[in-house]
Amino acid sequence: MNPQNYLYIGALFFLSGAVVSLLPLPKVKNYTYILSSLGAVSFAVLSLFLLFAPPLNIFSISISPIFEFIFCGDALSGFFVMVISILTLSVSIFSIGYTKDIGNKGLKGFLYNLFILSMYAVVMSGNIVTFLISWETMSVVSYFLVTFDRSEKSAKAGLIYAVMTHVGTAFIITLFFMLYKNTGHMDFSNIKAAITEVPDDVKSLIFIFSVIGFGTKAGIIPLHTWLPKAHPAAPSNISALMSGVMIKTGIYGFVRISMDIMGHGPEWWGVMIIVIGAVSSILGVLYALMEHDIKRLLAYHSVENIGIILLGIGGAMMFKSHGLYTLSAIALIAGFYHTLNHALFKGLLFLGAGSVMHATHTKNMEDMGGLIKSMPYTGLFFLIGSISICALPPFNGFVSEWLTYQALILGFKSPSITSKIISPLGGAALALTGALAAACFVKAFGISFLGIPRSSHAENVKESSPSMITGMAILALLCLIFGIFPGAVITLLSPAVFNLTGSYGMLSGKGVLHISETVAALSPVAILITMVITSVATIVFIFIVSGKKKVTYGGSWDCGMPALTPRMQYSATAFTKPIRMIFKRIYLPRRELRVSYIVKPFFVKSIKYSGEITPFFEKYIYEPVTVFIHKFAGKVRLLQSGSLHLYLGYILITLILLLIFGN
Amino acid sequence: MKNWIQVFSIIDFISVGILLTAIAMNALRRLESCVRAYMFNSWLLSFLIAIVAFMIGEAHLYMASIVTFLSKGIVIPLFLRKIVKQMKVTHDVEPYISNALSLTISGILVAVVYVSLREGIFVTGFSRNVLQISTAVILIGLFIMISRRKAITQVIGLLFMENGLFLAGFSLTFGMPIIIELGVLFDMLMGVIILGIFAIQIKRAFTSSDLDKLTILKG
Repeated sequence: MNPQNYLYIGALFFLSGAVVSLLPLPKVKNYTYILSSLGAVSFAVLSLFLLFAPPLNIFSISISPIFEFIFCGDALSGFFVMVISILTLSVSIFSIGYTKDIGNKGLKGFLYNLFILSMYAVVMSGNIVTFLISWETMSVVSYFLVTFDRSEKSAKAGLIYAVMTHVGTAFIITLFFMLYKNTGHMDFSNIKAAITEVPDDVKSLIFIFSVIGFGTKAGIIPLHTWLPKAHPAAPSNISALMSGVMIKTGIYGFVRISMDIMGHGPEWWGVMIIVIGAVSSILGVLYALMEHDIKRLLAYHSVENIGIILLGIGGAMMFKSHGLYTLSAIALIAGFYHTLNHALFKGLLFLGAGSVMHATHTKNMEDMGGLIKSMPYTGLFFLIGSISICALPPFNGFVSEWLTYQALILGFKSPSITSKIISPLGGAALALTGALAAACFVKAFGISFLGIPRSSHAENVKESSPSMITGMAILALLCLIFGIFPGAVITLLSPAVFNLTGSYGMLSGKGVLHISETVAALSPVAILITMVITSVATIVFIFIVSGKKKVTYGGSWDCGMPALTPRMQYSATAFTKPIRMIFKRIYLPRRELRVSYIVKPFFVKSIKYSGEITPFFEKYIYEPVTVFIHKFAGKVRLLQSGSLHLYLGYILITLILLLIFGN
Repeated sequence: MKNWIQVFSIIDFISVGILLTAIAMNALRRLESCVRAYMFNSWLLSFLIAIVAFMIGEAHLYMASIVTFLSKGIVIPLFLRKIVKQMKVTHDVEPYISNALSLTISGILVAVVYVSLREGIFVTGFSRNVLQISTAVILIGLFIMISRRKAITQVIGLLFMENGLFLAGFSLTFGMPIIIELGVLFDMLMGVIILGIFAIQIKRAFTSSDLDKLTILKG
C-alpha cells in the first residue's frame, strides 16, 4: 500500500475520534479513544516508511505562492512520528478507563484527538507556514487542555503557559523570517539547499533564537517555569502526552533548524547546548527532589531529562563542528535514544500517577502510602518506570544514559581544548543527575507506595480498571524491550542520525553494542542474565543458610512506643532533608516557626512550622519582569483617565505640535 | 467701485472681529454671554461672506451668507439660550482656570498660529490674515472645550471650531459648493440639537452638567 495512505487513514481515525466524541450519544463517545489508538497504529506504520524510505512528499495544497501547506517526511520526522505513535497508542488505551467518569468528556476527547494530530503535523511540516500553523494549533489546543478542569489554579497555570509559549513562538517566527529573508525560500528543503547564502552572524542569531524559542517548549532552564505548573494542571493522560511528546517537539524543531537546515556551526553552539543541558538536568532533578506533589515532581524530571537529551545533542553538534562524525553520531544516537526512552518512561510514570490520583483523589505524596498492597499492578509499573528513569539496567534509561556517557567521555579525542574540558564536565553533571534522580525516585516510590496509608485518601483504594493497566503495561514492556535489545532501536535511529551527521557510529552484533573505533561495548542481555542469575543465587543461598520456610507475621518494631501511627513514618520532607542541607546555596530554604502562647513563655497554645525553598527563577528573574510590566502598564493607564477634557487636551497638544513642527 | 473694500481692509477688520469674539469667550462669566458671543461671531462670519460675494460677484455666496446667518446666527443661538434657561440652577461658566490665565493661553495660541503659518498658503488672495485667524479660532474653540466644565460650553466650543473651519475653508477655496454648505449646516444643526438634549440628560442623571462626573463611567 502507498505510504501516504497510512497517513490518510490515521488522520481519518483521529478526526472521526474527534467527531464521535462531540456526538451527544454517551454510548458512542466511549469509542473515541479506540479510534485514536487505531490512528496511532496507522501512523506507526507510516513512521517505518519514513524511517527507511527516501524523504517522502505526503501532500501539498497551494493557496498562493507564499501561503502553501506542505506535509512531508524524512527519517527525522519518521523518528518523532514513531515516538508520538507509541505513546499515543498506550495513552489512548489508558484513557478508555481513565475518562470513564469525568465531566465534559466529549470536549476532552475532541481536544485530545486534535492535540495529537497537531503534534503529527508539527513534525511533518514541510515549510514555514505549515510549521507555524501546526505549532500554534498545538500550543492553543494544549492550553485548553491545561485549563480543562476550570479551577482557578489551572487558569493561572494556563496563563503562564500561554504567555511563555507565545514568547517562544515569537522567537520562532523571527528566526523563520530571518531564514526566509536570507534565502528567499519558504519550504525547508529549499532553505537547506540555499543555507550557504546566510551570513555566519545571522546563522548564529538564528541558532540563539531557536534555542530560546524551542527551548521554551522543551522546558530548558531558565525557560522551564511553565512546565511544573501546566503539566500537573492538565488531566493525567494529557500530562503524559505533554511531558512525553509535546516537549519533544521543541527538541525536534531545534534539531531541524540547528542540525538539519543549518548543517553545522561553530564550536560554541555545541558547547552552549551542553552547558544548558547540564544546568537543566542538575537543577531539574534538584527541584524535583523538593516536590511532594507527584505530578510536579514528574514535571521537574521532564526538565531534567530534556537536559540529558540536550547533553547528547550538544555533544553531537560540538563533535560535528570538529569533524568527528562518528563521535557525533554516537552522541546524537544517545540523544535520540533518550528522547524515545523519556517518552516511554515519563508517559508510564504520568499514567501511573494518574492511576494513583484516580484512586486516591490527591496529588500530595505525603497523603499516600501503602498503595502497593491495594494497587499491585500500578505499583509494579510505576516501579518499572522509576527504575527506567533512574537509568538502572535492564531497562531502557540505562542504555541511553550509558551512550551519553560514552559520547561525552570520548570527547577527549577531540582536538579542541574547550571540548576536552567541557565534555567530561557534562559527563560529571550527568553522573550527579543520575544519582539524584535515583534518590528522588526512591522517595517518590517509597513514600507513595510503601509503608502504611498516611491519610484517609490512601485507605480503601481500588486497583485501576483493566484498560488503564493495559496502557501502562504496554509502556512498561517497551521499557524492558528497548533496554534489552538496544540494537533494534539503534537500527531505527540510524537513518535519521546518518542524515544529520553523515555516520552510523555504532555497530551492533548479537545483543552486543560496539561503539565504532573504541573498545566500549555493552551487552544488556548479558546484564539481564547476570542479574537473573545473581538474584536466583541469592534466594537459593538464603534458603540454604536459613533453611526456614515458615513465615511468621509480627508487628513492626515500634521502639517501645505503643501504637504506631502513620504520622511516625518517614516523610518525603524528612527523606530529602540531607539533600536540602547539601544544596542549601541552590535551594535557599526558608523556615518559619510561629508559636502562639496562652501564657508566655510556658503555656504554648500552638506551634506552626512551615518550610519552603525559594523558587529562584520565579523570584529573581520572572517576578522583577512581571512587576516592571505591571508598573509600566499602570503608568500608561494614567493616560486613559476617563476625563473628557484631558482627551481633548491631547488633541489640542497634538494639533499645536503639528502646527509648529509640521512645516 | 469695489476698491474701497481693499482700501479700508474691510475683510481684515471683520476677521479680527471674528477672532476677538472667540477670544472674548475666555473672559465671559455667564452662559448667556457666551451664547451671545457666538451669535456675534456667526453674524460677522455671514457678513464676511456677503462682502466677499459682493467683491467677486459670486451669486451663490450670497446664498451661503444668508443660510449661515439664519442657522448659526439665529436658530442655534435661540436654541442654546433655551437650553441655558432649562438648566435653571446656575448660569456660571465654571472654568477650570482663571480668566486671566485663560486669556494668556489664548494669546499664546494666536501667536503660535501666526508664527507657524508665517509662510501661509494664499490661494484666493483676498486677505493675508484670514487663514491664520481661522486656525486660531479653531484652536481657541478647542481650548474652550478643554478648560470649561459644563456640557453646554463644550457645545459652544465646538460651534466656534466649526465657524473657524468654515472660515478656513472659505479662505482657501472661496466657499464650497452650496449643496455641501447646506449639508454641513444641517449636520451641525442636528449635532447641536443632540448635544443640547444630551446636556439636559446629563444634568438630569448626575444632577449637574459637570462633565467630570462622567469619569465614573470609565471601566
